Amino acid sequence: MKLHRIWGVILRYNYLFKHSLDRQVDAFYWPTVDLVLWGITSTYLAQQSKSIPFAVLMVVSGIVLWIILWRGQYEFTVNILEDMWNKNLINMFASPLKLSEWIAAFITLGIVKASVSVSFAALMAFILYKVNLFSYGFMLLPYLFLLLMTGWWVGLFVGGLIVRFGGKVQNFAWSMVFLIAPFSAIYYPLAALPGWAQKVALFVPSSYVFEGARQAILHGTINGLDIGMAFCLNVLYLIFAFFFFKKSFKKVLQKGLVKLY
Amino acid sequence: MEILQAKNLKKSFGSFAAVDDVSFALKEGEILGFLGPNGAGKTTTIQMLLGALTPSSGDVFYFGKNLNHHREEILEEVNFSSTYTNLPWDLTVWENLRFISYLYKIENRKKRVEEIIEIFKLKELRKQRIQELSAGQVTRVNVAKAFINYPKVLLLDEPTASLDPDVASYIREFILKERKQFKVSIVFTSHNMAEVEELCDRVIFINHGKIISDDTPENLARTIEVCHIELLVPKDLEKLKHYCESEHLKYKMAGKHITIDIKEKVIPAFLNALAGQKIDYLEISIEKPTLEDYFLRNSAKI
Repeated sequence: MKLHRIWGVILRYNYLFKHSLDRQVDAFYWPTVDLVLWGITSTYLAQQSKSIPFAVLMVVSGIVLWIILWRGQYEFTVNILEDMWNKNLINMFASPLKLSEWIAAFITLGIVKASVSVSFAALMAFILYKVNLFSYGFMLLPYLFLLLMTGWWVGLFVGGLIVRFGGKVQNFAWSMVFLIAPFSAIYYPLAALPGWAQKVALFVPSSYVFEGARQAILHGTINGLDIGMAFCLNVLYLIFAFFFFKKSFKKVLQKGLVKLY
Repeated sequence: MEILQAKNLKKSFGSFAAVDDVSFALKEGEILGFLGPNGAGKTTTIQMLLGALTPSSGDVFYFGKNLNHHREEILEEVNFSSTYTNLPWDLTVWENLRFISYLYKIENRKKRVEEIIEIFKLKELRKQRIQELSAGQVTRVNVAKAFINYPKVLLLDEPTASLDPDVASYIREFILKERKQFKVSIVFTSHNMAEVEELCDRVIFINHGKIISDDTPENLARTIEVCHIELLVPKDLEKLKHYCESEHLKYKMAGKHITIDIKEKVIPAFLNALAGQKIDYLEISIEKPTLEDYFLRNSAKI
């Protein structure tokens, strides 16, 4: 892997971000809308019923943490789409750029942009609801990393679908990640899910992360088993998603990069 | 020395053979024209030479190394420009050149980008986004991009399409200069036959995915025997018309001018016959067959 090539790809997407209102809106506007809408809703519910004492904290922290996962996959899927729409993939892959370097650039972008988006959302949460997620400091770090990992495999998998099937499935870039959202128990405890959904959630790494992060935020304890399970599942899915992506790319080379839209 | 070798390249999409057993070699410093009608397989071949399309069978070698096994090393020395691809349209000219410069091993990228901007006269466009440029300007940026890594091999797919004649001429001169100075080897496709004749040492004519001929532009043109004789005939035009019809010669009239298609070797006999028939003409011009005639004949025939 050559760092200069990874940096070249990062530059390309950063220039795009600088010029594209769509991409900026995705980074800042939608997280704010989510925070305002769901924050107000949970505040209202908490005022109505004292039986959900930490409703605001649970919902707001859920929104902020979900941004990490979402952002991690977004950097793969939407940037691949951008290059498809721009017919730019041939410029990239008729150069010495390797597939692994392209992926490394997405991962780096995911880390940087998730940090920016999460910091922004956490700041908004503090301003709007006095929920200070920064105060949990290092305790949340492993969960943040695990969510990024989930974002990466979702991104690789959906990216593989987009590369394989082109513009026909471009909507997956934004929507597919929400398939795992209900099973991730983002805003509610896992126990709130029906029995069958709880069984599905066992195979969704983010369900362990949100449960664990909630426990850390509400009770100040870290569950090593949750972290271990989420990590193992993430590694397994990452390996599968990587090979799927690689295979999809190989397949599209049989069709030709110019014909990919 | 052979810089590029295509060996038995085949590409099929389902039952359609886009490229069918194409083999050729490119020597150091050579400019090879790749000609053929639309859909002949030129762009498909160029994509395979770039590694952007996997051949159904066959191999591509650069500098004696297989592209499949030495992709990274080879593509460091190769670049391309094509009318069928775009640069990211949201990015400015400078941003595009800058990010692409990072994809290659270039010593001083900043300096190189500035050099390229200077060479291709892009100074005024550097801050403009690709989407704001005219088709000709985009083509110019595409060609500029192809030179960013000091390539040893260039694949130029219609690089002067939609350029103003003066810019196209400037780019042709630049290509020739680069070839002379750095012995850059170039595969070149164009629909401008005069351009191909001017630039290319050798021409491969491809149709229906197969190589039909491989020779110098002059030799290919020579295979066409028919010349065009244009005569200005003030009085005896009708007489000449009848003569052409009796001899089964094709002709076209425009005012008092007549253009007759005739084999080169029978021109003296034809002119003698005109004298014998007392057909007077004031002006005569003989147009020898060109690459364009070759292209037209072969594109139509197949």
